[in-house]
Amino acid sequence: MNQKPPRVWISNATPKKGEVLRVRAQIEHVMESGLRQDEAGKIRPRNIVTRFEAHLGTALLFAWEPGISISQNPYIEFTFLARESGELRLHWKDDAGQTASASKAIAVV
Amino acid sequence: MQRRTLMAASAAALALPALAQPQAKAPLTNAALAPNPAEFRKAMADFAQGRKPQAEGLHLDVPTLADNPAAVPVKVKVTLPITEQDWCEEIIVLADLNPAPLACRLQFTAAAGTAEAAVRVRLSQSQTVHALARMKSGKLLAASHAVTVAASGCGM
Repeated sequence: MNQKPPRVWISNATPKKGEVLRVRAQIEHVMESGLRQDEAGKIRPRNIVTRFEAHLGTALLFAWEPGISISQNPYIEFTFLARESGELRLHWKDDAGQTASASKAIAVV
Repeated sequence: MQRRTLMAASAAALALPALAQPQAKAPLTNAALAPNPAEFRKAMADFAQGRKPQAEGLHLDVPTLADNPAAVPVKVKVTLPITEQDWCEEIIVLADLNPAPLACRLQFTAAAGTAEAAVRVRLSQSQTVHALARMKSGKLLAASHAVTVAASGCGM
């Protein structure tokens, strides 16, 4: 799934209370659709990222369930209101059971 | 010599657009990429749960001409006010002629305070991208936009 860590960008790591924060994240993932065949004609088994979750501390902010129509190296962008400081934790899970995580500290001034 | 090659090149360039016209919508040759209209209707019906969607309130931003069919940027945003009482629970993105029409589900919470997201989808052929949003109050919002791609984004 990933030799490289996830790429994460946050619009402002020290936002004011009530500011809209934009988060962009991307991991390297083949997102094998299960429709392709190899040279021998055998179907390459499906292996896509099935769930992405973003938590601020323990609270779930946003969840994403991609399907096979999502591009390779899945990109996700979402926003949320900065209300409290905490650690923004992003977590990906795929069909093969592999996972990836990233976190960024948010300090609300 | 240079002038002759230039004339030949320009003649070839002029001939190409005339040939390209009838092939504007090339048919899909791979059976695995065939559209699945039954699954598209089922995905829409399962999400709508009998409610009628309203056309105002969901903004869907997708290019009309996508230069990369393997990564077409799709942005969705609920423009209705997001409050503690009524927030967007879920948005789904559909590509009506893809082999798997349900592209993704996006789930929001009251803790988020907003309902805006962007993803990249791959399209097997030129089609319409739809988005449906469901608010906590049960209100259903819908938006759609036709996208043209020059090739298949499925890499097959």
